[in-house]
Amino acid sequence: MAADKVDPIHQFQLHPIIPIHIGGLDLSFTNSGLFMAVVVIVASAFLYFATSNRALIPSRLQSLAEMAYEFIAKMLRDSAGTQGMKFFPLVFSLFMFVLVANLLGLFPYFFTVTSHIIVTFALAILVIGTVIVYGFMKHGFKFLKLFVPHGIPMVLLPLVVAIEIISFLSRPISLSVRLFANMLAGHITLKVFSGFVVSLSAFGFVGVAGAVLPLAMAVALTALEFLVAFLQAYVFAVLTCMYLNDALHPGH
Amino acid sequence: MTGVGTAFKVSSEFIAGIAVGVGIGWVIDRWAGTSPWGLIVFLMLGFGAAVLNVLRSVGRVAEFGQGGKPPPDSGQ
Repeated sequence: MAADKVDPIHQFQLHPIIPIHIGGLDLSFTNSGLFMAVVVIVASAFLYFATSNRALIPSRLQSLAEMAYEFIAKMLRDSAGTQGMKFFPLVFSLFMFVLVANLLGLFPYFFTVTSHIIVTFALAILVIGTVIVYGFMKHGFKFLKLFVPHGIPMVLLPLVVAIEIISFLSRPISLSVRLFANMLAGHITLKVFSGFVVSLSAFGFVGVAGAVLPLAMAVALTALEFLVAFLQAYVFAVLTCMYLNDALHPGH
Repeated sequence: MTGVGTAFKVSSEFIAGIAVGVGIGWVIDRWAGTSPWGLIVFLMLGFGAAVLNVLRSVGRVAEFGQGGKPPPDSGQ
């Protein structure tokens, strides 16, 4: 147990809380699942209480919810046009989920849901799946024009189309890797510097005096992590809007 | 955006392109038994896609399907 205190990876371990095994599959309810549920409850409760006492002059909570709405609505309108507003529930839910998950992860002893690539990958696949399904539904085979840039010589066409398709398929990976890597790296750095504080302070007075430096670093990193938590939720939402724009207007 | 944010953005775009290229090549090799040619060809294409992703994410190449000129607010 002593090694766990300074092990920076230990915080990402999954523990089954309610073990469920069906047909050889491990479907246990883990700490990750618990925190996903907590994230959904916190996000829903925030929006519920923020909008339950609606007033013309908004309270602080209400103006926060209105800001979140305006923020995402403007982002979606700017990048995908007014037609994009039909995807508002999707983008807003994704943004709130990622934001609340990132912010909750910053509490000590809390599990960061978005630090596992499978979670972020599932979110990214949801986005790309929506783009592909909606794109084909709306435009049929014209959706494939997305992969053919204008004014390409016929000789280069097969090569360019192959590269464009790989580039398109790499989107869910880059979307998920970015969010996951940011959260993972941030939490590991934070844990390493906090670990320095603990280990250094074991060396008497000089150690405690020296531990001030990593402590200051940990404080600064915590502030940075709050910024990153917001920024990554923002980036995720912006890219979702951009990809949805491709589904709405391919090859314009 | 912070410096580390840009670094993560660009590197994830690059890694994703190569990863998809390698993935497609590997699957084709497995199915068609053409090892190692599928991997070689799709690694190259994946590399191309990775560079395209990076250039697109910093706004130096036009977005999907737009061809010709890069977006007006490029080259910050």
